Amino acid sequence: MNLSSTEITIFLLSISIILFFARGFGELFRLIKQPIVIGEIIAGIFLGPTILGSLFPEFYNSIFNKLDSVAIALHGITSLGIIMLLIVTGIEIDISVMIKQGKKSFVISVMGILFPFLIGFLSAYFFPSQLGLTNSDLHLVYSLFIGTALSVTALPVVARTLMELNIFKTEVGFSIITSAMLIDLTGWLIFSVLLGIIGKSQSNNFEVYEVILILAAFTLFVFLFLKKLIDKTLGFSKKYLSSPGAILNIIFILGFLSAAFTEYIGIHAIFGAFIIGIAIGDSVHVTENVKEMINQLVTNIFAPLFFVSIGLRINFIQNFDFALVGIFLSLSLIGKLFGAYLGANLSGFNKNESLTVAFGLNAHGTIEIVLGMVAYESGLIDEKVFVSLIIMALITTLTSAPLMNIFIKRSKALLKLSNLLKPQSIIFTNADNKEELIKQLCKNIYQTNNIIDYEKLVARVIERENQMSTGLENHLAVPHARMNIKVPIVALAIHKNGIDFNSLDNLPAKLIILLITPEDNPEMQLELLSEIALKLSNKNFIEELIKSENADEVISKIKLLY
Amino acid sequence: MLFSRLGIAFTFSPNALRLLKIAHRLQKLFQSELIIIHAGEDSKEIREKIFTMIKEANLPDHSYEIIIREGETSKTISKICEEKNIDLLISGALEKESLLKYYLGSVARRLMHELPCSLLVIVNPENISDSFQRFCVNVDYSPQNEAAVKKAYEFAKLENAKEFILVREFQIPGLAITIYDGGETDRAEKTRLEIQKEEEEKLKIFSDELNLTGLEVKRVCLYGKQGWELKQYATDSKSDLLVISSPPKKLKLFDKIFQHDIEFILNQLPCSLLIIRS
Repeated sequence: MNLSSTEITIFLLSISIILFFARGFGELFRLIKQPIVIGEIIAGIFLGPTILGSLFPEFYNSIFNKLDSVAIALHGITSLGIIMLLIVTGIEIDISVMIKQGKKSFVISVMGILFPFLIGFLSAYFFPSQLGLTNSDLHLVYSLFIGTALSVTALPVVARTLMELNIFKTEVGFSIITSAMLIDLTGWLIFSVLLGIIGKSQSNNFEVYEVILILAAFTLFVFLFLKKLIDKTLGFSKKYLSSPGAILNIIFILGFLSAAFTEYIGIHAIFGAFIIGIAIGDSVHVTENVKEMINQLVTNIFAPLFFVSIGLRINFIQNFDFALVGIFLSLSLIGKLFGAYLGANLSGFNKNESLTVAFGLNAHGTIEIVLGMVAYESGLIDEKVFVSLIIMALITTLTSAPLMNIFIKRSKALLKLSNLLKPQSIIFTNADNKEELIKQLCKNIYQTNNIIDYEKLVARVIERENQMSTGLENHLAVPHARMNIKVPIVALAIHKNGIDFNSLDNLPAKLIILLITPEDNPEMQLELLSEIALKLSNKNFIEELIKSENADEVISKIKLLY
Repeated sequence: MLFSRLGIAFTFSPNALRLLKIAHRLQKLFQSELIIIHAGEDSKEIREKIFTMIKEANLPDHSYEIIIREGETSKTISKICEEKNIDLLISGALEKESLLKYYLGSVARRLMHELPCSLLVIVNPENISDSFQRFCVNVDYSPQNEAAVKKAYEFAKLENAKEFILVREFQIPGLAITIYDGGETDRAEKTRLEIQKEEEEKLKIFSDELNLTGLEVKRVCLYGKQGWELKQYATDSKSDLLVISSPPKKLKLFDKIFQHDIEFILNQLPCSLLIIRS
């Protein structure tokens, strides 16, 4: 059956309109530093029955609703979008990085899933009607779904926020990203089993236990054997076929095949896409450039079609249930924040760092929306619950970055000189020689942090100094040592006349920063030393800093660097 | 003394003679004792065969000790290394492993994981010149790694190596996915370059802090999948010895499925490999 010329025209017109509005609203949100995906969903609400459909019903119907064939074609293309989105999501799940982070991300993820899941599950199980259950046959599955829906975290939103806050490379940042990956993985695994159970009632291909067994066998097959084969195939195509076109081609062929398989066994195409995405992402031939190329293609063309399509199908005003939104939002906040906070705290993060982790993981974002859409399409949830889930996803996503920002600034997670320096750690000195000055700085550290053995500290700093001078350039010297401490300590001295420090440029040292770091963490010392060397490489700035008359002035000038 | 007791895992392979010669050269270089370990049947014929090879390799009398013990190869060798306080074991290995061997584990692979001491895995011993000339040393900034780099440097000095390269790999998980939500490629690239600059500065400070004097040190920071980038670099730079510090834990099947950094190297050795356990 062919589409008529009119049908093709309307189909192309509707896609153009969707993409145009998705881009427009998306860019508006980007301007106010918010995720573009929120703009895309709002574009759908604007174009759909909620606004355009009620103001200009004829126009809305003629474009999006008049022809069944166009609606089917649009549904097909949005389904493709959702599958491609899941391939991309899978590619970004790096299990070897999660393993490396080990216990920390495991504890945070377990707590970050367990608490919201239990709260969601128990609430829906004991108060089903208040939480929107309409089909009592699905009582248990529905409760499990609500638990899952409250526990997911949106990895892309988290990644963007970490970049905005410049905490990608901090321990907190690393823990957030690896935990988000683990939460995503677990969430999809639970959800796939639920889909298998729902699928049972819709298709008669397999029994539930068979679906779970096939699912486990499929996952094992993908990770034990297919993953290696994919790596070899991608390596071959990189070497002998047109690159990167062939790699992109193979990635999507594999993604669609896997999606088709899981759809056939009664789970859902998205699960196959997600699992194969993980296996593809593990290949060394899927470089950052390839990933970025796929991301650009999927998230600028196919994903917007999907996100806008949500608003096109549902009237958000008619289906808005204030109580339900409030319940979901409260349950999500209580479960996720408490669980992730507890997990982070148990992993050794302090209060502010743990709150940063908790708010970071509370962004439900796109994953929630995909999850809700699939549940809605399979008849597990109705429009009201779906709308409530979307609103919960939007609110948690919008609030995640600003709240993380507040707590990350308060914590010492940002290993920066400006965070470590306190007014009482700054001295103005006229010491006669290097050794005397080092002793003065050590004394300051000993007096302000009496956890340190003064004699040992002096001995360590001088021993390091004797090995090779720590005098850098432009009047800067950074003597340092490692001690048995938990957090780094800094003291700063200003010597207006300068003191000989055997510096690289033979200039006397006027700004001397003593840095003490934990002895079991050599990397922390390197990070702080490189940070100081890079930030204080400007001669004019150092000269300006040396002119300071008091500790507060020094601190305020150093803060200008950040 | 860099390594005071050397061991060699002796098998009747085509490379056995060449391995013995290399072990003897290193014994002289480190001025250490040499213990020849054979995990297998102990009989008069076997001993005679070993002695013939030793003679062929020109090992002076009384410069070595031989231990022959029956038992599962990797476990027996590990036990002897522990009993005899061996601090470096020399072993041969295949360059590439099949998928089946990958999951089941070859003797060399099991040795890499189970050994209580450092391990030198010689690949293609017939191609190895008189000494190791290009050292490629992995840097991961752990306390064990500091000690390993220092030891590798002393080794390179003894060999009078032409090149000593410190390689630092780094990764930013999630960076590519920032493009996912309206992020710009330029912004991601800028972040990557900033982190690259920080890593280069860190590596420079790291080598300065270790006070490595005598040989020139080349420093390289690589962005990408850890283990894989190192292996590629060792191949491209034509290094003849890749040095890594031993992983902190024994690797499990899980590490093989979702490859641990070291697995990329073990899977296909780019050159001889020295795993330093400190």
